[in-house]
Amino acid sequence: MSEIQNPPVDRGQIERALARHKDRMKLYLSHCMHCTLCAESCFMYMSRDKDPQYMPSYKVINSVGVLYRKGPGIGRDDLQKMKGIVWRNCVLCTRCYCPVGVDVPAMIAFARGVLRSQGIHPDFDEQGAMESWL
Amino acid sequence: MIVASRKSLDEILGLLGSCKKVLVLGCGGCTSICLAGGQREVRDLCAELDARVRDHGGGLTLHELTIERQCNETFFADADALVKDYEAVLSTACGAGVQFVAERHPALPVLPALNTAFVGFDKGVGWYEENCRTCGDCVLGETGGICPVTRCAKSLFNGPCGGTRSEGTCEVDKTVPCAWFEIHKRLKGQGRLALITKVRPAREWENQTRRSVIQEPYKARYAKP
Ligand code: SF4
Ligand code: SF4
Ligand code: SF4
Repeated sequence: MSEIQNPPVDRGQIERALARHKDRMKLYLSHCMHCTLCAESCFMYMSRDKDPQYMPSYKVINSVGVLYRKGPGIGRDDLQKMKGIVWRNCVLCTRCYCPVGVDVPAMIAFARGVLRSQGIHPDFDEQGAMESWL
Repeated sequence: MIVASRKSLDEILGLLGSCKKVLVLGCGGCTSICLAGGQREVRDLCAELDARVRDHGGGLTLHELTIERQCNETFFADADALVKDYEAVLSTACGAGVQFVAERHPALPVLPALNTAFVGFDKGVGWYEENCRTCGDCVLGETGGICPVTRCAKSLFNGPCGGTRSEGTCEVDKTVPCAWFEIHKRLKGQGRLALITKVRPAREWENQTRRSVIQEPYKARYAKP
């Protein structure tokens, strides 16, 4: 793939976004007890035969969790992988319930924002056919 | 889905008036999906505004930001932090989104870049058709799944009016199918034609006030003390 189609990520911009939301996001990440109670409140998970990749906790750990773990070392491939998790696997209906108050939709929206800042987002026309979500 | 289309560049420039620093706020919800106000459309709009303003001596600073939805406060963290640096917000959400932003930031002009058109469905990529006027008292169960409020030129609840043309189109416009002719056909096909003679009381369209919905299990939570 050419540089134009796949430009390097703007690490500075990502770092600034991570820093801006660090307190709240890290608090949420550290408070998730992996109890999976959120799972049954997510209709995406329930309507897909309880496929674990639709669990709210899976979605935040594999998006926001990865962003903070890799920090400035994050690459465009990592972000592309995340695209499916934060758009296809979650519709941001804000219905999920976490007993300790982890705000899953806010986390997914934050991850989407980071992806958007690097020009990664779904398109809804021919050029951006559904496969581009994955 | 809510469907919208973009205003003309001239109208948008008119709304911006003398504002020199503008936050152009995209919506990742309905207006992204109907290709009117998502991240890509925000980018295109800014490019057009930039080009036009540059031709006239420049001086307009635009900042692009698309948030996931402009009708839910969960998604406003980044936008709220930014707005104070701008003289106005140009929103590409539907009318509800524009008002939500305006309510959050009452000191700032929040301007619509789109015309919110209707609730409808997808006919093809970039092609949408109106199907519901959100009247709040749905009659589809008795009209064969065809909305008379939207599709009858007179929004009649008890039709047809008598003006149906022989080819089954509306007296108001011969290219438009008569909604009640269609309803008749549909109900007949379903063996439920008796429903067409049911008299539905007249709807009082005038003096409408703002509606709100609280689902049954949440009534207690939002009850006024
Ligand atoms: S916001 Fe996402 S994770 Fe939460 S319930 Fe909705 S689809 Fe599931
Ligand atoms: S603000 Fe309007 S366009 Fe955006 S998601 Fe909400 S309803 Fe849809
Ligand atoms: S009757 Fe028509 S306008 Fe009213 S809710 Fe039903 S579909 Fe919508």
